[in-house]
Amino acid sequence: MNETSVNEERPAEEYRRLNKKCMLSMYINNAITYAILLTAFLLLLTFVPQLQEPAFGPVIMLASAGMVLLLIYLIAGPKIYYDRYRYIITADKVDVRYGIVILRHILVPIERVHQVEVSRGPVNNMLGLANVNITTAGGVATISYLELDEAEKIAERLNDLINRMLRDRE
Amino acid sequence: MSEELLRCHPSIIVENTLRTAIALLIILFFWVRSLDMPYIVGLAVPLVVLIAFHYRQWKLTFIRFGETDIVVERKTLFKLKKTIPYSRIASVNINRGVINRLFGTSKLIININSGYNAVKPEASLTFEQRFADRMCEEISRRINCAEMPSFGEEVEPLVQFTTADVILHGLFSVPTYQSILGAFFLANSVIEQYRSTITQAGADLGGSLISLFMFFLLTVLPAVRHMIYYYGFKVYRKGDTIFLQHGLIRLYNISFNISRINAIKVKNTLVSRLLGRSCIEAEVVGIGSDDGRGTTRPLISILKDDAITQRLFVELVPEFIYEGEAEKQPDGARSVLIGRTIIASAVLIAVMAYPSMLAYERFASGGNGIVDAMLPYAFPLLTALAIIAIVYSVSVSLRVREMDTGERLFTFVNGILDRETVVMSYDKVQMVHVIRGPLARRFGVASAKVFLLSSTGTSSISSGLFREDGLERICEIVMERATRGRR
Repeated sequence: MNETSVNEERPAEEYRRLNKKCMLSMYINNAITYAILLTAFLLLLTFVPQLQEPAFGPVIMLASAGMVLLLIYLIAGPKIYYDRYRYIITADKVDVRYGIVILRHILVPIERVHQVEVSRGPVNNMLGLANVNITTAGGVATISYLELDEAEKIAERLNDLINRMLRDRE
Repeated sequence: MSEELLRCHPSIIVENTLRTAIALLIILFFWVRSLDMPYIVGLAVPLVVLIAFHYRQWKLTFIRFGETDIVVERKTLFKLKKTIPYSRIASVNINRGVINRLFGTSKLIININSGYNAVKPEASLTFEQRFADRMCEEISRRINCAEMPSFGEEVEPLVQFTTADVILHGLFSVPTYQSILGAFFLANSVIEQYRSTITQAGADLGGSLISLFMFFLLTVLPAVRHMIYYYGFKVYRKGDTIFLQHGLIRLYNISFNISRINAIKVKNTLVSRLLGRSCIEAEVVGIGSDDGRGTTRPLISILKDDAITQRLFVELVPEFIYEGEAEKQPDGARSVLIGRTIIASAVLIAVMAYPSMLAYERFASGGNGIVDAMLPYAFPLLTALAIIAIVYSVSVSLRVREMDTGERLFTFVNGILDRETVVMSYDKVQMVHVIRGPLARRFGVASAKVFLLSSTGTSSISSGLFREDGLERICEIVMERATRGRR
């Protein structure tokens, strides 16, 4: 069953969840990030001789512990992110709840939306996922890791809502 | 308004050439070692090219003040046609720099209501002074759809700001953390100077001079800049428009409609609070300028006695006054802040333990004077000071931070050393984030970040830790008012 499809028969006030593919995208991104960091760390250890002196032992141990903690976070993070991510778009607002350690509730009144944009990075592109960036005069809110169709539909729906609102004003 | 095509005043050629020439001269100063003929030619050629370039730009740039819009068209190699409808103009202001004063001209600064381009004006046009004043008046009338008083009219200011007020503002409006950092560099400079004198190492003055330079950069320069910028400060309100006039070298005439204000901040630094003074800042969109003022939010009152500031608040922006009951941070916030203090202190001690031991081993042999005697204990002392600072900030935060939600407006009170009371209109809120960390979740509190359109693009105002339903209520009111406004 497609968890993110726009289903008009659903009750209007129901939070939606992301597709499970978002976890894969996050895992790939996290793996790339970690590989870069680990390489940099190992290169530092290899090519900076001062770091091999006993005085730097505790610093290296602290940095290694940091790398292990980061690895745990990057492994556990995507599942928690997926479990917690909720979003809803009504005629009045865009409401997004997400977070791994720190939870955020973002609320954007449709009145304030200036621009809607669908963006895809290389990993998301490969997996058929996209982000919807909702620009207001005060900043950008993003609904992340949506299926491309869903992202396009949301962008279209938001644009319709904005246009309808502007027409009503006239 | 006339439909004829106009050019800016030719003095713009001098102004633009000078600006680029100064940069060019600085670069050449470091390259050129003598004033031989080839170097003089090397200097003269780019200068002539510059003048020719700016002359051509002036000659081929036309401005038309139409019935519905202003059109600025440049027909040079990089063509440009900018149409600014009057309906989108947020503010039109005038400022006069030294060159403007020499040539009897003024700069007409036109801003649109845009967060994207808030720091830079949409158009900056130099005209003969009287013409610029007349155009400013006419454009203001069009955008405000009402008769507007011009800057030239004699209007009695609400409060007289003296030169002493400007000097005090310059000295004490610099953020306290910046002053502390400045004081640290000054102290370091004095200590370095003292050490080099005691040890007879007269040539080793580099560290002292760098510290002295940092002190000037962090403390003296911002203070002097504020004094020059706010010299002769005047503020008055006529109808729905607020007028500001100030400036020593460049004169600033700024006006904006009250409806453009997104938030009002009453601010004071530690020293200004001790002196019983505060200032009022307005978060206004669309008053950017291309002369460095772009990143400065307009003050509608510089540091003045608290009672006078309150009176100015009431008389200048009564739209931002409401009956409310301020709410202090609840008990849950106390637990969260104490928890954070314990964690931060533990991390700090863990991180500093090893460097402290190394420093002790290295400097244990001691040396001459108090400074050398203190060196082995520097890290533990600094750690202890940092922990005291964390504990102090938590106790102040619990005492100071407040939130107040009214029907039209809401307020956040923030700050540890420097305090600010921010009154915001629900109708100007662009986006709200309600944030809960693991500790905050445990104790049922959250913090909020409110995003507004500001004079520097966008700004966010954070709250302290309050009950989550209280903060969610802000979201609800924003939504209710947005929906009601649409109907």
